[in-house]
Amino acid sequence: MAIDTDKIVHAVMHGSRIREEKGIIPLFGVYLSMISVQYYNGISFGFEKATGNDGFAENLLVEAGQECGYATFQGVRSSWEWEEVVKPMIEDIEDQIHCFVSIAIAFGWGDLTVQELVPGKKLVIRATDLYEAKGYLDVYGKADSGKCYMVRGVTGALMDLVYGDDYPEGCFQYTAVETSCVAKGDPYCEFIAQRTTS
Amino acid sequence: MTIDWPEKFARKGHELFLSGLPIALHCHHYNMNLQKTLETSLGSEGVLLLYTAAEESSHAGFTSFLEHHPKIVTAKSKLELASTSYQYCGLGIINFTKIGPEGGIVTSPHSHHVTGWLAKFGKRQNVGCFFTGGWVAGVLAAIYNKHIGYFSVDELECKMSLSKECVFEVKIA
Repeated sequence: MAIDTDKIVHAVMHGSRIREEKGIIPLFGVYLSMISVQYYNGISFGFEKATGNDGFAENLLVEAGQECGYATFQGVRSSWEWEEVVKPMIEDIEDQIHCFVSIAIAFGWGDLTVQELVPGKKLVIRATDLYEAKGYLDVYGKADSGKCYMVRGVTGALMDLVYGDDYPEGCFQYTAVETSCVAKGDPYCEFIAQRTTS
Repeated sequence: MTIDWPEKFARKGHELFLSGLPIALHCHHYNMNLQKTLETSLGSEGVLLLYTAAEESSHAGFTSFLEHHPKIVTAKSKLELASTSYQYCGLGIINFTKIGPEGGIVTSPHSHHVTGWLAKFGKRQNVGCFFTGGWVAGVLAAIYNKHIGYFSVDELECKMSLSKECVFEVKIA
């Protein structure tokens, strides 16, 4: 069975309209929030500017994205919503990656597509419209390096979850790089995750 | 005036909007990780960055929202709207009953950030709702037609350090 992204998006849109009495959105095993992308970009790029663009903030933001992606999608695949909506579509282990990407699209992170997946070895994700790249361009103009730190970290996390050691031991066993970025003037953002080399 | 929040939450292709403003769904893992990363690496400067980013985005968002709803004119209605928007966004419960143009007290018995922080990192020794503080400052500036930075918000008590509720003091900066 092919992965039905529309069905996953519909489940997220429906579920994210439900709040419990404390004003919290519990969905797919995590607590969700709806926050302006201006906030996230303000934090990320403000952090980078404050530390002098020397790669310090970049590394920490990618790490935060990867650790988040690892915990988030573990929560997602352990949830009853996954069991009910997503799991029936999954035929092999690689399908998990496609489902995770569908959920990322549903969360409004961008138009992510899996460009290439070599089981256990390599994942290539592309997108033409990510809020990090767009936000950077809008505020600071053309960048000289990739700016999509969250999605870059998440790309590594997806491989960690599917091909790394059992949760929670597998985080950071894969590392992603952003090989092209819309913020640099490239036609798309591209992320390649491969086994971390020491 | 009642706002139909679900009607304001829309998807255009892969993008999400709330009342026309681009938003993203993120979970407590990411939000708390970002906060911890900034606090750990920049200290008070990181805290200020979290507060300011929240203040600027909530001011822009709420100003735009009010422009699109010109029938909402009284401060009381706007405060009520702010409270319901906080809840709709999954940020928690926030009470503006003791607030006015000169400032006052805002309380929050439940929040995404408190629930998320306690679930992920456990009890804090100090206050930690920097997002909410900034969010309140920005929204109040929009409601009272003031500039960003007009209000300063300090958290006096915080559920992250196991107080009964989060209490914020709002003053004119």
